[in-house]
Amino acid sequence: MATLIVRDPIPLAELRRLAAGGFGDFVKAVVDVEAKVMAVGGELHADQETMLLEEGSQQHNIWGINIYPDLPAAERLEFDSMINVRPSQGNRSRSVESEVIRHRIETIVSSLVRE
Amino acid sequence: MTSSPSGIHHPELAAGRWGELTLAAQLANVGSEVGRMLGWRQRNERLMDRAFERALELLDLTLADPRWRGRLREIARAREMLCDAATGGHEYDTTLEWLDRYFLDFAVAERNRIEQERHGAGSRINGGRGD
Repeated sequence: MATLIVRDPIPLAELRRLAAGGFGDFVKAVVDVEAKVMAVGGELHADQETMLLEEGSQQHNIWGINIYPDLPAAERLEFDSMINVRPSQGNRSRSVESEVIRHRIETIVSSLVRE
Repeated sequence: MTSSPSGIHHPELAAGRWGELTLAAQLANVGSEVGRMLGWRQRNERLMDRAFERALELLDLTLADPRWRGRLREIARAREMLCDAATGGHEYDTTLEWLDRYFLDFAVAERNRIEQERHGAGSRINGGRGD
């Protein structure tokens, strides 16, 4: 299952293709809310996280999500990843507990994925 | 929407990557799927079933991991309880909420281990002893 770092907008169809080659319904992604890039594809958020860290991302800026390309835009993102569990940052669940950060993630993903 | 084309949800993990993870990381990833089961339960039965399939697949990979021989009882019990919760909790009164909390502890343990490693403090949960 290929993993790629998205810096410029890609079509939603590309996410569908990645999903079809992997989990079927969704594709895993890790978003850097500062650099405004995301790693998509692959079987583990932890691998995408490592990829972004090696690219220079800071741990506190990266969050794991799942993208369901076939769902309506309002339901497309799922904020759920074990890499989000960061008690030292005040995030004690797999979700992204900060509404501000969730909104930033939504904004970045919609700017990186063309309908 | 399509399902996993190979019938296996995690082919790379099944091919060996899973065996590189600590036990805590493995169980934390199972917990992610349990969380998805919970998230989709009231909204999309098909997506909930897919998450259940993935959770079982990851638990089976964990049970097959030779590193955990001699420590399989709790993992096997967790699998049994997951099946119970997915079918209504009639056998053991298991709920997905309870399992979600159970697996979340492993995610916290794994994150603590990673943070300690990154801060050069070593690891208290190494070699997959993250229970």
